[in-house]
Amino acid sequence: MSNLPLEGIRILDFGQMWAGPHLTQWLAVMGAEVIKVETHLRLDFMRMIGVPPGVDRDNFNAGTAFASLNYGKKSITLNMNEPRAQELAKNIVKISDVVTENFGGAILERWGLGWEALNKIKPGVIYYAGSGYGRSGPARSRPSYAEIVEAYDGSTYLNGYPGGEPATMGVSPWTDATQAMHGAFAIMAGLYHYNRTGEGQYIDAAMIEGSANFLGEMVMGYTMNGTLGERLGNRDKVMAPHGCYRCQGNDEWVVIAVGSEAEWEAFIKAIGSPAWAKKEVFSNEQKRRQNQDELDRLIEEWTRQHHQYEVMELLQKAGVAAGASLNIKDLVSDPQLKARKFFIEAEHPVLGNITLAGLPWRAEGKEKGNYSYPPLLGEHNDYVFGDLLGLSGEEITKLKEEKVIY
Amino acid sequence: MGALNGLKVLEFSEFISGPYCAKMLADLGADVIKIEKPGEGDSARHWGPFPGGQPHLEKSGLFLFLNTNKSSITLDVKSKKGRQVFRRLAEWADILIEDNRPREMARLGFTYPKLKKINPSLIMTSITPFGQTGPYKGFRGSDLINSHMSSEAFGNPAEGVNDLERYSPLRGPMHAADFMTGLTAAVCTMSAVFARQGNKSGRHIDISAQEALASVTRQELAFCLCEGLYPTRQMGRKRVGGFLYRCKDGYVCIWIGPHWQKLVTMMGNPDWTEVELFKNAGLRSKHQDDCNKLIELWTQQYTMTEIDRLGMEFDVPLAPVRNVKELVNDEQLAYRNYFVETDHPAAGRFKYPGAPYKLSATPWEIKRHAPLLGEHNEEVYGQVLGYKEQDIEKMKKAGII
Repeated sequence: MSNLPLEGIRILDFGQMWAGPHLTQWLAVMGAEVIKVETHLRLDFMRMIGVPPGVDRDNFNAGTAFASLNYGKKSITLNMNEPRAQELAKNIVKISDVVTENFGGAILERWGLGWEALNKIKPGVIYYAGSGYGRSGPARSRPSYAEIVEAYDGSTYLNGYPGGEPATMGVSPWTDATQAMHGAFAIMAGLYHYNRTGEGQYIDAAMIEGSANFLGEMVMGYTMNGTLGERLGNRDKVMAPHGCYRCQGNDEWVVIAVGSEAEWEAFIKAIGSPAWAKKEVFSNEQKRRQNQDELDRLIEEWTRQHHQYEVMELLQKAGVAAGASLNIKDLVSDPQLKARKFFIEAEHPVLGNITLAGLPWRAEGKEKGNYSYPPLLGEHNDYVFGDLLGLSGEEITKLKEEKVIY
Repeated sequence: MGALNGLKVLEFSEFISGPYCAKMLADLGADVIKIEKPGEGDSARHWGPFPGGQPHLEKSGLFLFLNTNKSSITLDVKSKKGRQVFRRLAEWADILIEDNRPREMARLGFTYPKLKKINPSLIMTSITPFGQTGPYKGFRGSDLINSHMSSEAFGNPAEGVNDLERYSPLRGPMHAADFMTGLTAAVCTMSAVFARQGNKSGRHIDISAQEALASVTRQELAFCLCEGLYPTRQMGRKRVGGFLYRCKDGYVCIWIGPHWQKLVTMMGNPDWTEVELFKNAGLRSKHQDDCNKLIELWTQQYTMTEIDRLGMEFDVPLAPVRNVKELVNDEQLAYRNYFVETDHPAAGRFKYPGAPYKLSATPWEIKRHAPLLGEHNEEVYGQVLGYKEQDIEKMKKAGII
């Protein structure tokens, strides 16, 4: 018997791409039954991304990007252009607690599944609508992607090397993740409220609004003083040294952050008390910060002679914050992530044995969380339409032939 | 009424990640009591930005933003009496959020098994750079360290760089990594709050910042684990969309991907888009740099505002690279009443970032400004814990509160 926190919660999920699926993946791993709706006419685009070599590139069950975002879910296919498919969706709503979507506009309304309709079909339901700009206002229908939101909210403007130009953030879609997780939190808060009162909610979540919270410091700087902020990169407005330094290997780097006079002394001792450390220009934090180009150059002379993990362990043992700057492939073998079993193995019918990143959450005790393999397209049609809605095998076959379940 | 009204939270954390986690609970109605060090308080109080650039314990913008709707008490947990008081608070709380190193919590006697004895249904969320287990569990971290140890920084900037020797991996803007860690903690905490509603039992939640951030790179990790592919830092690694283009007065970000045809129409169907080299998405991706240079020839003829309007008209996903001034004065956010003007007795009245989600039945709300240091000592020690006035006086004199 499973004892996951969201056991017994059912979610009808129209999410696609990154933010929507990652949101419901959190809830699925935490035990909710997530029924993901797609159709052959509108596949989740991520199904096509990252198909491994040796697998047919058109195989929409082999996208590893999709796999990394859709653990623990069930998949059904419904051609929502068909009124009968809309009826079936409504019947699923009747037995669900939450409906989620992240379409570019009010698509659900077109299908008779807008907030007012949903609340009538299933009083107390929680309807989560995730979008780039929110479901009201002049930009409500504008298409968005993480990079667009980051340009819009000011992240890109402040991202980059000191003295350089603005730069696009990260490889991974950062604001998709912020939206997914703000959404997961809001939905659970809504469920908590429902349990106490029987009242449902409409959650209108704009990516720009969640992500602008992450920029609170920048916003306060402007509203208090009219300042636009500074591109600091790896540097800090107070601490020095505070940077990323070359190590021995090819494109190998380590980061070091020294936060107090005691740490500075420990740092200097750990790197062998070089003569330059006694220079007047490095005698306090303020001076070190003023002269940090020179300071960083000298530190790098030392780091270049070592490997990143070596520097990290040496400095950490001395009580100084340091860390290897890891590439994706280094993460996979990082001793800490390994020891904590961050990666999850699953047996996938098409991909075979796969290893993927888990969530930064663990179930209680020995339980792992619901990490069943990311579903094949329409894999759970029979379960959902038959077992849950009570349709007969014949009826289901007919609906498939007529491309309603499609 | 807030969704989390009546939920009792004890916050024993500082700077960003723990406070953001507790803020998310407080802004939906939870009662949050924040424990601060007597005299100096949360380190965010020393960070700023400060009005007029004048440092002041009660005026740090970062602190004011992160601690709305909370109460503040001062408590010196180094003293025996202070630890006793802490245990009383842990007994009161439904949730404890803390960000101390595991060794420190053990030294104070605040490990989960010990606190669970006092309060069996306590949810305790521990936020550390690397988690409560594993070889690096005692290691120090920070926004900088965590963003590099998780490979987030290796991916930044997304375009890559021309000179790998000169340009190091780069952490993201402001304290994005700390916020992500706090958000992760909030989601995990909320799941335990929900579960507790059913089974009345508490649990310990172990948050590792490294994992919280590595989780965001899950798609790249999948490519690496399943296909053996991983991005280098070399310029040109980025494909498909989300590139920056210079325009007359700054930059715009355009997402091409499946929107190519709309983009071509928006640019007025230039001849070069007909060339064999750019015939389909695969070819364009192969010749992305050349394609981008040609697009830039077009964007450079316009201002950010002009391109923004064209993007609206032609439904092309794009945005000018805006600064915070443009963000705070944004029309869309104004329409949605995003920024919230909040008064503070010491700092004054300013706009704050608002609701990260609009909940129809239980709206997000700033009911109360961030607390002054120790503002709620009398209320919490007197009314909540029931200490007598003379006891409180005694603790004050001893420097415990």
